Amino acid sequence: MEKAKKKYYDFIKTEEDWNRFVKKEKLLEYGIKPVKRAKIKGWAKLAFIVLRIYIAIMVVLVVLGFLHLL
Amino acid sequence: MGAGQFGDTKRYADSSAAKVPVDVNLKLDELPQDIRLRAIDRLKIGSLRHSKSRLARMLLMLALIGPGILVMIADNDAGGVITYAQTGSIFGIGFFIPFMVLMVPVAYIVQEMTIRLAAVTRRGHAEMIWHRYGSFWGAFSLIDLLIANSLTLVTEFIGITFGMGIFGVKPVYAVMIGIAFVLAIMLTLRYHNWERASLVVAAFNLIFIPLVFFAHPNWLLVASSFGSWHVPSGFSTLFIYVLLANLGTTIAPWMLFFQQSSEVDKGTVPEDIKAARRDTFIGACIMASVAIAIIVLTGTAVFSAHTSDATTSGYNIAFILAAISHKLGVLPVKLFAIGLIDAGLIATIAITASTSWAMGEAFGWPKSINLSFLKGRKFYIPGIISMLIAAIIVLIPNVPLGFLNLTVQVIASIFMPAALLFLLLLVNDKEIMGAYVNSKLQNAASIIIMGVLILMSGLYGISLVFPNLI
Repeated sequence: MEKAKKKYYDFIKTEEDWNRFVKKEKLLEYGIKPVKRAKIKGWAKLAFIVLRIYIAIMVVLVVLGFLHLL
Repeated sequence: MGAGQFGDTKRYADSSAAKVPVDVNLKLDELPQDIRLRAIDRLKIGSLRHSKSRLARMLLMLALIGPGILVMIADNDAGGVITYAQTGSIFGIGFFIPFMVLMVPVAYIVQEMTIRLAAVTRRGHAEMIWHRYGSFWGAFSLIDLLIANSLTLVTEFIGITFGMGIFGVKPVYAVMIGIAFVLAIMLTLRYHNWERASLVVAAFNLIFIPLVFFAHPNWLLVASSFGSWHVPSGFSTLFIYVLLANLGTTIAPWMLFFQQSSEVDKGTVPEDIKAARRDTFIGACIMASVAIAIIVLTGTAVFSAHTSDATTSGYNIAFILAAISHKLGVLPVKLFAIGLIDAGLIATIAITASTSWAMGEAFGWPKSINLSFLKGRKFYIPGIISMLIAAIIVLIPNVPLGFLNLTVQVIASIFMPAALLFLLLLVNDKEIMGAYVNSKLQNAASIIIMGVLILMSGLYGISLVFPNLI
């Protein structure tokens, strides 16, 4: 198991220093703090509608294009 | 690593024994493997931050570079190198030189947003899309990314086999060497060493810069191109096609996923944003310098005024290298081949990692290059499989590689607007970004760039399947 060299943690002397380090580096929050589903409203709602239309048009065009190429 | 295993961070913050001397190595031993190794890296950075010496400042700067330079150089992949070589061969020295300089802020502004997202949320792009916008958009993004990444890897292996072919290596051996090289870096090194090894590989991308001097270009012509933005062969369908191809080469969906995940794995926190921005800007400058070098090289050695009716397929890489060999000799061709192999390798390293990270983020698997293969096999296997599929495709006789290349670009053109929209939505999301949301100026720049990219992506996608439409 890899160990940290003393010179790299000279600035951590007490539990408090370690806690501060862990908190600042977000080491233990990693992958834990939940991210909630966003409420889509306003310009974002419009953007999603435009995106769906864009994807639908592109997919149809691409399918037609590939059929044409084949 | 279970979500609850280390979830109670308060037990550290509220410890009544706060002034008790601490054994850092004992504390590190309590952490899971990936977080422990990241903590060791971050201790080194913390130590450098606490030192006021100039040497420490310099070492800190070096320690904080990585994802930005990697993503930008990996963007100059085998397909990119071939696109730039074709651009110079067909259009010479003119419009595309200043155009590539313009790509520096474009690439920087887009990628910078992934830095802030990573530093603030400590999550990758795939994870954020999945959790914030639901499983439909999460799956849509993931599937698109996986298909595009696998097919892009095919173009990387084409570059690797072609480049090694110049040195007489048979395709099957070239592919095996490529796979062995990427696996060795990915599976035997922890994140910090993987990043450093990848940066060394990336450094070989710079080989194209001294290569320019073999061609003895007219530097006055290069300089004057910034004033005139001259298109030697005039505006044509081919010009628009090459313009779109260069734009598509500059910003690809995998880059957003790669840099955000890489910054998370590196341990980037808000305090590092300034350094990560510097890293990305340096990377963007290198990317443009290499692209310009290739365009100037082929624009000098291959371009002639009679190419106005040329096609990109007519100017394939074999033809271009034959022309370089004829005019400049064998050495520049060999150096170009080394650059092409390197471009394929560095992009394979980055794209394989981006596939693994995205899968890990989407499915909640452990997701760090700090993990050993045994502990992180779920994380490593998707990337490895995508690489193996690409390698096998390249070795299949008579496989329609042109068609596959076209498919990857079409998928990217459909996927790009979605990826950019999610990026913009996430980076403006006050609930998750707090004070790090885009400023009005950043939004204005981002919206203009994204608008142009989305329009161009759409046009490019359509032009690929309906070549006579534009």
